[in-house]
Amino acid sequence: MLGFIKKDINMVKSNFKLIGVLLIVYAFLAFTNKMDISFILPFISVMIMISSFSYDSFNNWDAYMVTLPNGRKNGVLAKYLTTFLLIFIISLITLTISLIISYTKNTEINYLQIFTSLLGTIIGTLLVVSFMYPLIYKLGIEKARISIFLIIFGLAFLGSLLINHINISHITNALTKLGNLLVPITIIITLLLLYISYIISLKIIRKKEY
Amino acid sequence: MENILEIKNLNKKYDNFSLKNVSFNLPKGMIMGFIGENGAGKTTTIKAILNIINSYTGEIKIFNKSNIKYDSEIKEDIGVVLDNTFFPEILSPTDINNSLKNIYKNWDEKLYYSYLEKFNLDKTKQIKTFSKGMRKKLEIITALSHKPKLLVLDEATSGLDPVARNEVIDLFREFIENNDSSILLSTHITSDLEKLADYITFINNGEILLSKTTDELLNNYGLIKCTEKEFNSLDKNDYIKYMKNKYEYDVLVENKKEIKKKYKIEVIDKINLEDLMLLMIKGVK
Repeated sequence: MLGFIKKDINMVKSNFKLIGVLLIVYAFLAFTNKMDISFILPFISVMIMISSFSYDSFNNWDAYMVTLPNGRKNGVLAKYLTTFLLIFIISLITLTISLIISYTKNTEINYLQIFTSLLGTIIGTLLVVSFMYPLIYKLGIEKARISIFLIIFGLAFLGSLLINHINISHITNALTKLGNLLVPITIIITLLLLYISYIISLKIIRKKEY
Repeated sequence: MENILEIKNLNKKYDNFSLKNVSFNLPKGMIMGFIGENGAGKTTTIKAILNIINSYTGEIKIFNKSNIKYDSEIKEDIGVVLDNTFFPEILSPTDINNSLKNIYKNWDEKLYYSYLEKFNLDKTKQIKTFSKGMRKKLEIITALSHKPKLLVLDEATSGLDPVARNEVIDLFREFIENNDSSILLSTHITSDLEKLADYITFINNGEILLSKTTDELLNNYGLIKCTEKEFNSLDKNDYIKYMKNKYEYDVLVENKKEIKKKYKIEVIDKINLEDLMLLMIKGVK
């Protein structure tokens, strides 16, 4: 497992400079109160991971991966874990920067707001991952890119239709009733979706011929 | 003799091609040349051995174990080079080492770096800066560095120049001697095999045409070059295939000595694998 994660990290490490620059830009914008771009940062890790799929596909890596011991299982799991790891580390850095800025500016730190906004971004990113990775394994990286755009637009369109036809206050009321349980339930559902996504990806890889 | 690889009645159907009852064995400590023209079924057979294609029937045993049931365990002891390059070109040989040492239990880092040095491959440079031959060398080195019991090489020597091919062939010999392992080497460069292989398995159109020791093949099979009149005097059962050329007939025969005696032919040429392939595929009976 570790070998596959190391391979993925080695492939995306050239993008770490880009993340560094984005973090500096984020810190600057946050410090000057111009804009909060913290929501972009975890998404960047997914974009970087997608580039690793492109390298794999361009260099026929998957055909070799399946000849390695436990290659199918560990190869797929490594993609999910590396993504998770990148999102976690980048979020942690983003959080640290947010706290340092609030501390240096001597403003009252709104922990709840910082945590919920970051958690929301992480959950959103992981949801994209859980839809996107099985598609990449099934369709290949090029076709999956187009499909994911179509899915996002489709969902947005459906969402806007629903909002127009459903009384949204019912939903918000129901969510408010969950109270303190809302966050853990959301985390559990996200992790469950991620696990289902991994199982589907693994099934696709197991059926695939090279 | 103990077999490292046993294939029995392997069948696999595609829309326009199928493997038909492919069966052969590779004994321990031996090198088998797996020959056939492009599209004959070499790569499909290799993929079935490695269990990376589905829905094939038949039985494949590696180290006396089912290749499906013991997939992961078996793969610890197999070294693989595929026909297409497969390492992400953004990685360096050092990156490859760092990954594979955590994938193979028996990965020998020291051996890997000594091979890199031997073949003058820079361990820090990205693979994209390597030539096609250098990439192939790196793949071969990688396949050897966990000291596998079976090496499966699909057209592994094809992208190499003659000097590099000789170096690699020496490496294979050294590997076999030191590790008591076996090699299945698919190639269409048959001259390499005459120097290296103990066994030759010949596949054509998804069927195994022959699987014999190289000595048996090169000593028993022969090529008669004769006139039409001489050809007509041959019994149909005494030759395998023939080809009519502009001025003469090329006739492939088995049991060279007996044929020589029976027809009082003075010279029956020793066959080489290239002519054997050509006559078996293009010749008629």
